[in-house]
Amino acid sequence: MFFHWLEKNPFFFASGISIVIAFAGLIEIVPNFAKAARPVVDLKPRTVLELAGKNVYIKDNCMSCHSQLIRPFKSETDRYGDYSLSGEYAFDRPFLWGSKRTGPDLHRVGNYRTTDWHENHMLNPAEIVPGSIMPAYKHQFTNLADIETAYAEAVTVKNAFHTPYGPEFKGTRAAWEAHKPKVLADAKAIADDMKNKDVKEAVARGEVPEIVALIAYLNSLK
Amino acid sequence: MNALMIKALAFAAVLIIATIAVVTSLDIDIFADSVNAITMGGAIAVATITASVAVKYVNQMKTDTAAGPLAEDNWDGIGEYENELPSGWAYSFLAVFLWSMWYGLIGYPVNAYSQIGEYNEDVLAYNAKFEAIHKNADEATLKEMGESIFLVQCQQCHGVTGDGLSGKAQDFTARMSKEQVLDVIKNGQNQLGYPMGAMPAGMAQGADAEAIAEYVAGGMKGEQPAAFAACGSCHGMDGKGNNGMSPNLVSYDAALMNHVVQNGKKGMIGKMPSFKTLITPVQEKALTVYIQSLSN
Repeated sequence: MFFHWLEKNPFFFASGISIVIAFAGLIEIVPNFAKAARPVVDLKPRTVLELAGKNVYIKDNCMSCHSQLIRPFKSETDRYGDYSLSGEYAFDRPFLWGSKRTGPDLHRVGNYRTTDWHENHMLNPAEIVPGSIMPAYKHQFTNLADIETAYAEAVTVKNAFHTPYGPEFKGTRAAWEAHKPKVLADAKAIADDMKNKDVKEAVARGEVPEIVALIAYLNSLK
Repeated sequence: MNALMIKALAFAAVLIIATIAVVTSLDIDIFADSVNAITMGGAIAVATITASVAVKYVNQMKTDTAAGPLAEDNWDGIGEYENELPSGWAYSFLAVFLWSMWYGLIGYPVNAYSQIGEYNEDVLAYNAKFEAIHKNADEATLKEMGESIFLVQCQQCHGVTGDGLSGKAQDFTARMSKEQVLDVIKNGQNQLGYPMGAMPAGMAQGADAEAIAEYVAGGMKGEQPAAFAACGSCHGMDGKGNNGMSPNLVSYDAALMNHVVQNGKKGMIGKMPSFKTLITPVQEKALTVYIQSLSN
């Protein structure tokens, strides 16, 4: 009998148990996960400038204090807006949910803060929000964002994960040179709403200060 | 009652007395609180039942003799009698079986917990309670509520006192500054979606514009400059916006608050986003009361 054979072979018995339990997990978890992780309707991948801003966000470790995940609680949706859906992070690699809220959640910050607010706030947070313990990020006004790496990142996720970037995203120097004016135009649109002279001049020269990229990214969080 | 049983009951009694002694030494009045009393009762029951069940089986082991046909299977010489299933065990197995059928087919699929469902119920219940409380709210309640909304949603840009953080946002202690009036006269304004539509640029020039700006920024007091007639045709000669047809130049009235909260605004100072997803109509009313109180 199979039962007797199984009883005498603990390795195969253990394997059999694992397979049965794993199968139950598989049919419960995988379909739900596959459904929820699909991009929400109209989700667009981030532009190159926004990706560069996201890298500034990571570099300056914003996720240590700010989460990007609004939980379905009345107290949270009152303050931050609609609760987050898995599908909204479909193109985020990596996602920046964060697990600590020293500062407020930023998942929909683009809905209720503007370029000029971020500009004032990044220079001196305590002046804008009394009692704020957020440090100033003045270096973002002088350091330059790496838009070239951001472009490479867009091309990489397009090739590796089929993130829906347009056909003009190709891994060649020529393709980047062709796309660069678009990035600079986006940067100019942000800089036009800013007051800082140095930033405006840098953008006019064809450079992208970190603050411009970061604001583009924060404005895209909606 | 045999000696073993007496020993067991004595053991249970020692357990109970020890427990009571510890609890009393901690200055807990057992019977003052029903939960304490029930817990204590439960502890006594557990100790007694444990002792008597142990006694029953120890006695049984002493007196029982093995008899009956053996099962076919044996494990290294250790056999098993072909006894009937104990009835309690069999019934509970049946009950668990029936329950699992119910749970798998009806219980879980129909009554499954949903976080979003709980959130929706929460929001509905809260909104109903909120509406009930604020249906006939008086001025003082609205102002208090407006202040707390202001502190959560508005003060980050407009400042805790509503002064606009020295020119970084609209200053609510006054309606418009001279620079703002001049800017609107020069560039027009087409952001707020009033029925009157866009205000064209260049409605007044030079000294006329200066005079109008001076007059409007001063709260429309004193002698009205003749050039204000150009403004009055839309904003009303009293500047109050022709019953909501165009922006009120004197105060933050309900229509103005509604247009700005719903549409946001892009003006001389900068851009304010729309707050229509974050601020409800009742909250907007409360905010209006609060913001009006800032300029008075």
